[in-house]
Amino acid sequence: MLMISPRMASGMQEKQYTPSLLSFFIYNPKFGPREGEEEKKILFYHPIEIEKNEKIRNVGLCEAIVQFTRTFSPTNPAKSLHTQKNRQFFHEAEENYWMVMVVRNPMVEKPNKDGKPPTVEYQEEEIIDSVYGSVLQQCYCMYKLFNGTFSRAFEAGGVELLTQKLEKFFYRYLQTLHLQSCDLLDVFGGISFFPLDKMTYLKIQSFVNRVEESLSLVKYTAFLYNDQLIWSGLEQDDMRILYKYLTTSLFPRHSEPELAGRDSPLRPEVAGNLLHYGRFLTGPANLKDPDAKFRFPRIFVNTEDSYEELHLIVYKVRERVNVMDLNREFCEQLDSLVGPQLTLLASDICEQFNINRRISGPEKEPQFKFIYFNHMNLAEKSTIHMRKTASVSLTSVHPDLMKILGDINCDFARVNEDEEIIVKAMTDYWVVGKKSDQRELYVILNQKNANLIEVNEEVKRLCATQFNNIFFLD
Amino acid sequence: DNMHRSDNRGSWEFQPEDTLTEETGNFPSTLAQANFKIMSESWRQHRKHVFVLSEAGKPIYSRYGNEEALSSTMGVMMALVSFVQAGGNMIQSIFSDEHTVVFLQKGPLVFVSVSATRQSEQQLRRELLHVYHQIVSMLTQASINRIFERRKNFDLRRLLFGSEKVLDGLLDVMDSDPSFMLSAVQCLPLPSSSRDALSHILQKAITPDLVFSFLIANNRLVSVVQEKTVLEDARLKPSDLHLLFNLIRASAFQAGEIWMPICLPLFNHDCYFYAYVAYLDPPECTVCLVLLSTDKEAFYAVAECKRKIEEAFASQNALQWVANTQLYYVDDISVANLRHFLYKPSKVLDHHRQLSQEERIRLLDPYRNMHNRIHSTSRPLKLIYHSAGKETLLAWVTSKFEMFACFTPLVTKKSAISELTKLLRWIKKEEDRLFIFIYAFPLTFQSQPCKRQSVTQNVKK
Repeated sequence: MLMISPRMASGMQEKQYTPSLLSFFIYNPKFGPREGEEEKKILFYHPIEIEKNEKIRNVGLCEAIVQFTRTFSPTNPAKSLHTQKNRQFFHEAEENYWMVMVVRNPMVEKPNKDGKPPTVEYQEEEIIDSVYGSVLQQCYCMYKLFNGTFSRAFEAGGVELLTQKLEKFFYRYLQTLHLQSCDLLDVFGGISFFPLDKMTYLKIQSFVNRVEESLSLVKYTAFLYNDQLIWSGLEQDDMRILYKYLTTSLFPRHSEPELAGRDSPLRPEVAGNLLHYGRFLTGPANLKDPDAKFRFPRIFVNTEDSYEELHLIVYKVRERVNVMDLNREFCEQLDSLVGPQLTLLASDICEQFNINRRISGPEKEPQFKFIYFNHMNLAEKSTIHMRKTASVSLTSVHPDLMKILGDINCDFARVNEDEEIIVKAMTDYWVVGKKSDQRELYVILNQKNANLIEVNEEVKRLCATQFNNIFFLD
Repeated sequence: DNMHRSDNRGSWEFQPEDTLTEETGNFPSTLAQANFKIMSESWRQHRKHVFVLSEAGKPIYSRYGNEEALSSTMGVMMALVSFVQAGGNMIQSIFSDEHTVVFLQKGPLVFVSVSATRQSEQQLRRELLHVYHQIVSMLTQASINRIFERRKNFDLRRLLFGSEKVLDGLLDVMDSDPSFMLSAVQCLPLPSSSRDALSHILQKAITPDLVFSFLIANNRLVSVVQEKTVLEDARLKPSDLHLLFNLIRASAFQAGEIWMPICLPLFNHDCYFYAYVAYLDPPECTVCLVLLSTDKEAFYAVAECKRKIEEAFASQNALQWVANTQLYYVDDISVANLRHFLYKPSKVLDHHRQLSQEERIRLLDPYRNMHNRIHSTSRPLKLIYHSAGKETLLAWVTSKFEMFACFTPLVTKKSAISELTKLLRWIKKEEDRLFIFIYAFPLTFQSQPCKRQSVTQNVKK
């Protein structure tokens, strides 16, 4: 992606290029071990137009680098390769199955006088390995959610089936990667929880229990409000990637009509039933039409042990969404049962939402800019990111500050102790990072003339209001 | 385990480089796998490997292990470098959970560091640059380039025979001495009157073509004097001093004197100085005199200077000043929580430290990490305060100084700040005694009717 920033008065402009995807490939060295068979190792390669020999050479380079680093540590081979122009990330997703993502380094093109070609300056320090490494891992998790593991596909239908699935999934998925706006939140891959009072929470729980009891085909249920999770019966790792899919792909696709007015009723063509506001986000768009064909997307969960393949049903009432996994279709039953009850619950939750809103204050400019993440339950909260859609994650702070957060996160990751790092940046912003017992908190303060003691007091105040039951180092 | 230095110099037969990558430009899969077998567990455990090879892939130096046995590993390294180069790109580093591999190419030489120290890429590359400069200090850049221009397959070990311990020594000291991180030289604290008197003695002992005179005590700089005309041209860089000190340390002589060629790469990378080195206090050998001349034949004249200096020292009992030097203790200024600090004024070559040897070396790792963050080229910082399990660390850069400090882990921020303020006040007060300001004002030699030649005209081949 190209951004132009006018720098020179003469009209010649410095062009700033953000990081972008150069190539993405998946290979397994075991599939083509002998000389002359190299092409067989390659299971997926983007961009597809690249000439065959060059693909083979690039894969060969990755193999050589992984093998070279095994010389020094057999169990911890290379994770990334830094070159002047680009950065390559390596991930052994499953045994012998390697995924590689090549990202072009951000660069600045400075025009030269006298018709000389512009000088290009590469900015390698702008890319943080942990961020893009996490993005690559997430690519695998997303693929696995909808397709199961590589090895199962290979067992079921050999290389042909595997390459087919990879092609089908990644061709579309890679287009949704927005590498220029990846940051610390990608490292966490967390879930935003919706805080509820006990009564409403219990109501929801009992509702879920009733649904699962009466509809025996329902295996797991997750309950969300807007983009926030209230309850999930799924394993954490499965919920985490499903959450990402729902909030960055499925919900944005379906929420357009409602963006116009939150309280306006659904558009007529979507409402199939006047008794309640429920509708399916996956599956039948219109229940009344008997000829309409529909399918539920299939997802794979618990791949480590039970390896279950389920159908994903996402049923939404206004802003409340119920996600259920089923073995077969039976939508009318679901619709008639769930719809009315959810609608009732809806108003309860809406009330709670308004109460929460009043407490935390208007969303214009939050009092404290912070990011919080809990490794144990994956709860994440950010007052810095304003809107998360598939395309962009807007932040209200300068990207350099986000990168400083990334640096602090890397430093925290080195040791397994409680720590605190306070940093004063060149622009006189203060950044405070606290790590305590699986929780991480990052606060950005814009107080030019504050000293270390004052900053410390500010952060203590924040912790007292928002995190008063969590102990952080002083 | 045959991991000792190779005894074979220059007779080792090398495979031509084109067996490493075939005509198609692919990596033969067998090549990379071959490395796996020969490496022993003890070799792998080393914290930092450093390899030097030529562009042709010929091994020159390996910090650990027999560089001949490692020739195929070095071959792979060279293949990685050339492969990426062939794509119009430049390889910089490889990261894994435990190691960082950093590449540096200077002229016909390639340097690779494989490190488990978690230093940043920039810091590791700077260390490789020091290794390159140390090699230049022994051979000069001009001759290295010339040799390889004529013969790409040349085995540089022939010229570096016996010098492995110089490189070993450099790598060891870089791992234990913060001087390199700070790009500064540690100096011996002396009252400025004593230091001036010593400098005066050095200044008076002059002979044509004598350019620099150094007095070093216990690896700390006591005094440095340089010829006035040279001052106009160029300044001595701390890095060059480190290389000089390292060469002297590695020659490990005690009594007597040395006369050896040395190139100071940052000063002038194509010509030699000739260094006269002698200890002034045998047999303790703690005070070392180094005189640099541009004249290869000047040994006797320079030795005469040394004799004059010795005489002057004896008559004034100058060695006592050095022996008596008050090594300050941080306790003096009642900072109970402060364990250790490094302080470097921005204009001057110097820093300080205080703590046990092992502790100081251990602190280097977190200091280096903070140094890397604070001096980041894309997002530099002014201050870092890091409280962790074992200690609380602080790094601070202003326009006047940069400093690193280590406090007890439970120190409160208030105490840390107040102790730091006390420390800074004390440093300001003792400035004269603690630092050498050599470029704040010009030094002059006493007049002697000799023809002085500028170093830049006197390039020795």
